[in-house]
Parts: sequence; C-alpha cells; structure tokens
Amino acid sequence: MSALRQQVPNAVVWLVLLTMPYWMGAVGGYTELASRVVVLGLAAMALNFLLGFTGVLSFGHAAYFGLGAYGVGMTIKYLVPSTPLGILVGAAVGTLAAMVIGALIVKLRGVYFAMVTIAFGQVFFFIAFRWNEVTGGDDGLTGWKRQALDLGFTRVDILGSDKAFYYLVLAVFAACVAAMALLLRSPFGRTLIAIRENERRARFLGIPVEQHIWLSFVISCFFVSIAGTLYALLSNFTDPRALRWDQSGNFVIMAVLGGMRSFWGPLIGAAIFVVLQDYVSSQTENWMSVIGVFFMLVVLFFPRGVLGILRRRLAS
Amino acid sequence: MSGQDLLGKKLSRRTVIKAAAAAGALQLTGPFIISARGEQPVKIGLDNPLTGTYAAVGKNELIGCQLAIEQINAKGGIVGRPVELIVEDSTSGDAGTAVQKARKLIERDHVNFLLGNVNSALALAMADVSSEKKVLHVVPGGHTDAVTGATCHWNVFRICNTTQMEANAVTPSLIKNAGKKWYYITPDYAFGHTLQAGLEKACAKAGGTKLGADLTPLGTTDFSSYLIKAQAAKPDVIIFLTQGDDMVNALKQAVQFGLDKRFHLAGAQQELEPLEGLPPEARIGTWVFEWYWNQPNVPHVKEFVAAIKKKTGRVPTARTWFGFASTWSCALGANSAKSLEAVKIAKAMQGMKLPPEVALMPDTPYFRAGQNQLIPNLYVGHAQAKGPAGPDDLFHVDQVVKGPDIAGTLEESGCKMTWPA
Repeated sequence: MSALRQQVPNAVVWLVLLTMPYWMGAVGGYTELASRVVVLGLAAMALNFLLGFTGVLSFGHAAYFGLGAYGVGMTIKYLVPSTPLGILVGAAVGTLAAMVIGALIVKLRGVYFAMVTIAFGQVFFFIAFRWNEVTGGDDGLTGWKRQALDLGFTRVDILGSDKAFYYLVLAVFAACVAAMALLLRSPFGRTLIAIRENERRARFLGIPVEQHIWLSFVISCFFVSIAGTLYALLSNFTDPRALRWDQSGNFVIMAVLGGMRSFWGPLIGAAIFVVLQDYVSSQTENWMSVIGVFFMLVVLFFPRGVLGILRRRLAS
Repeated sequence: MSGQDLLGKKLSRRTVIKAAAAAGALQLTGPFIISARGEQPVKIGLDNPLTGTYAAVGKNELIGCQLAIEQINAKGGIVGRPVELIVEDSTSGDAGTAVQKARKLIERDHVNFLLGNVNSALALAMADVSSEKKVLHVVPGGHTDAVTGATCHWNVFRICNTTQMEANAVTPSLIKNAGKKWYYITPDYAFGHTLQAGLEKACAKAGGTKLGADLTPLGTTDFSSYLIKAQAAKPDVIIFLTQGDDMVNALKQAVQFGLDKRFHLAGAQQELEPLEGLPPEARIGTWVFEWYWNQPNVPHVKEFVAAIKKKTGRVPTARTWFGFASTWSCALGANSAKSLEAVKIAKAMQGMKLPPEVALMPDTPYFRAGQNQLIPNLYVGHAQAKGPAGPDDLFHVDQVVKGPDIAGTLEESGCKMTWPA
C-alpha cells in the first residue's frame, strides 16, 4: 500500500507530461511552451543531481548547456544534417569539457567552487561571443534546422510538427530522468548523499570524496548538455546567452524554487519559471522584477521550495 | 488537532481565499474561444525591444504602429476586417528571447503579420522563424545587409535602409567635411559588422583609409578604453557606429574627454532619440538620418507630426515612421492582394510603391522586387545643439540623397530569392 502511495506522485507527473500538448492550448499555452518546460526541467534536474544530491553548488552549468546547444547546431550546420548525431556530438562536447574542468576544480568547496565554475563558464561565453566567423558571435548561430528523424521504417517530421518534437523531447527526458533515478538509488547515489550530509565523515569512512564529486559533476553536466541540445533544437537557434552566467543562475533559481531536496522539485520550479516568464513578459515590460519578487518570496518564506511545502502539508 | 477540525475550520477560509485568487487569475488569462471568422480581427504581432539599450527607439516604433493601426481601422481595416496589434518585448540583445516571442506570436496568437526587430541580429533570427512558418514579416528598423541580402527570404520585407546604403549616402560628406583617416568604434554584432564593412568599402573608394577599429559589446557603458586607443591612433575622424544608449554614452564620454576639440566626431546612422539624450555640447558631427520630422514642403508630414505629438507630446522620429510605414505596408499589401495568404501578399508587394500619406518623403519609396527592400530617401546633415524650429530640431539636413542612387544593384545585394512551390 505504501509502495503504491509512493508511486502516486510519479504517476501524476508522467500523466501530466504525456498529455501536456493536448491541454496546453486550452489554458492559454502552446506546444512549444510545453517543450520548453520539459527541456529546462531536465536542465534544472540535472543541476540538482549535483546541487541537491551531492551538496555542491555550480554556478556555471550554462557553459555545458551552451556547449550542447552549439554542438548540435554546428554539427547540423557544418558537418552532418542529422538530429540524433547532433545530440550525441553536443552531449559529448559538453561532457568532455566537464571532465577536464571538473578535474581542475574538484578540490574546491562551497563558494570557491561556485566562483570558479562561473569563471570557466564565462570563458566559454566569451569564446562564443567573440568568435564571429564560427559561432556567429552575438548574432547567434542561425541558418540550420532540426532534421526529420529517420527511424528506418518511418520518418518522423519533428520540424513541421510541434507535437512530434515534444514527444521526442519527452522521450529523451524520460531516458535521462530514469537514468538519474537509477543512479541515485544505487550505492553510488547513496554515497553522494552521504557526502552531502557530512563530507568529513564520508572521508573517514574511506570514501574517495573527490572522485565521487568529480563523477557527480560530470554526470550532471552530461545531462545538462543533453538539455542544451534539445533547447537549441527547440528554437533552431542558439546564441552566447545560452552559456552565460545568468543562464546558470536561472537553473539554480529553478531548482531552489521547486525544491532541491526532492527529485521532481526542479521540474516544478522550471515549469513555474518558464510559464511565469512567458506570461508576465507579455503583460508588462518590467517582467523581470515580477520574477525577482516571486523568487525572493519563495526563498524567504518557503526555503524548501514549492514541493517542500506540498510535502509538509501531506505529511502533517 | 483533529482532522475534522482541520478540514472544517482551517481549510474553509483558505479554500475561499484560494478560490478567489484562482478566479482572479482566470480573469487575467485571455479568452481563447474562436469566434466566427468574419468578426475575428486581423492580427499584427510586434516583437520589438521595450527594455534595454534600444528601449527608446523600440517604443517609438510601437507608437508609429499604433497610429497606423488607428488609421487603418478608420479606413476600413485589412480585407474588411478590423486590425489588432499584439506587442511582445523582445529585449534589446537577447536573440533567444526574440525567437521565443516570435514563435509564441505565431503559434499561440496566430498572427497574420510579424513585425520586428530594431536589433539586426534579432531581426535575422526572427526572419528564420517567420520564413519557416511562412508568415509575412516586415522588419521596421534592423539595418544589417543580410536581412534583404545574403539571407533574404520571400516573406521578409524591410522599411529601414541597409547599412551599405547608409554608408554610401554619408561617406562623400564625411570625407569632404572631416577628412580621410578614420577610426571606428563599432558595436559587436551583425549591424556594426556590416555597417563598418560598408563604410570601409565606401571610404576606400573615395580614397580614405582605416586607422583602426574597436568592437564594443552591445550595452557597453564605459567607452574610455576605446576612446584612449582611438585618440592614440590620431585619426581625422572617429566614427561612432554604436546606437541607442550606447551612442549616448560613447559621445558623451568623448566630449568629456575633449576629443571633439581635436578630432571630428561623426558616424553613419544617427537618430533623434540619442540626440535628445545627449547634452547640447555633444550634439555634433556629420551623420545620416533616415527620416526627419522637419520637412516643411513635403505633403502629409505636418499632419503626421501633429498626430504623433497629440499621442505622446513629442515629435516623431525615424523610428516612429519605421513602425508607421511597416504597419501600413502590411495593410497595403494585403488589400492589394485581397487576401491574407502570405505568398499572395508578398507577390503583391513586389515593387509596391508607398502612397504619399505613408511615404512622408519627397520621392516615392518602393519595395525593390526580388529583394523586398524599401528604397527611400536618406537625409545627410549634421547634428545641432539647438535648431530654428524649436527644441526638437536637433538635426540640420544638408542634402536629401535619393535611394536608387546609393542602393547598388540587385546583384550587389547578394539576394537570391526562392519562392515556395
């Protein structure tokens, strides 16, 4: 019975995600908004793998998000017009960068770790910003489109049909989320939580803390770069702002908003963030202050995020 | 506390509050019930900056659009249907947001026409979206050549000039008034790159040389390091290609440094908005305006100025005219095609001339067929601290340049248009 009850939130989340394109229009949304929620939700959940379950704050995740975005865009534009290959290249580029940078910074803790991740993120931002001939500079990378999926027996037109693209995004999301959930349930995941709870004790127990944090960082960046590839495919476009520090900040906001101690929290946070931004920015040009005030209220009064409040209510 | 208590007492009040809040929130969401086709207004979506460096110019384009919408509705609308304007803030430099908003306008609001953007890079990114979705798109004020050049699209039309046209128009005056050795301060995005390239080309043709150039990121507030480099190069002219608030900051600082005493400070594109934002002593230099409100002998200009003054209390700027002319172009195109189908409208707009009450300039501007670029007049002159026609007269037109003389040929534009089958 209790096992069944534990599955209820999962079932609700999947039901909502699976049907989203069909009711989005009725509540004033549109299919691309749904795709955006899922993509940024994946990015926030990937960040939370590091932030919520390993206890390490990265402020530079946009770098790997953006590398994924540029990876897919440049693959399709310059190399091979293939969407799946583009996603693979994007994810590989982001993950490789994370492996190298992770190894350099893994000994740092707390605010120092966060600062250095920002610094490395900005390095990538300025490369994308300045290298006009290749990345398109501040204008962004244009002149490429996501390509139809060739499954062997059939072709799926993900460019013309928003719904088809949404379900591609959702399928990738499902695979990534399942992988993260499995990792977190494994002994490796438990060890990460042990490090989060008390790093010194974990070290005394003989756990190689640095290796674990490095691996957690790389896994987190792998998933965030996949989200980046989907984000670029969503708009058929990417620009240097996808890898700037404020994009990293947005991921942190989403995770904190939804609740970083829970698995689905960042997805909820991303949904609130994206929908609020989409809606308020049509009403007033001062939309950023509305989002800022909302975030401050959440941090001040609900430090465990939206899902944290719901949990407490259900528990009491 | 018993569960009964919790449900009976505490929840009831909260539920009421929540229900009230939910009901309130519902009022905010727009109704999405589609009424009968005949009554449904034709929608024009404006995706333009309302915040950031280009907030002032973006808002003026919006005012021009609004006036045009009022006039179009008063004259019977588009194909007999009323017209409605939907506005989204694209931000000044975030192409990702502009793309997102363009998709939102097309996907959710089902706009018939898309307008925007001030920022050339954003205009290019939006053009990719509009051509993918086959929506007629008019760019009011994004100048980079590619919009109607190398990456032109059958559905994308442009009101403002190309950067090459501006460069061609202003270069002879600059060489004559200021000198042949130029140093550029250029915004680091599509517009700046092509404007500088255009000027270099025109300058070299006229026998001038480039001493150096600095690329400044959009939204730069401190130009001192660039200005120090520029003065060290000892040019005749420091060419400012920045726009909006960046123009105000750059010129203000140059005058504070006393550079105006030693060099000629000038540039290509100048607008009324930055001149209004500058202190009188910094309103200097040779520039090109794309439209000016003080044209005493041109028909309909006086009425237009009066209508805008009534709306805002200020005179219209080139941006107001861009917004006005682009909205009117949508209506004129659709009404002459008698259709709302993008392909038919785009065909009808090939070579379309703007009538005098929309053109508001001496020669009849027209959309050049095969390129979709409006060929208007350009106004070369110099900025002035105070003019004879009042506090808004900050520019003196020395010469009206005819568009066809400086537009180059269709082949030179690099546009190879392909139409949908």
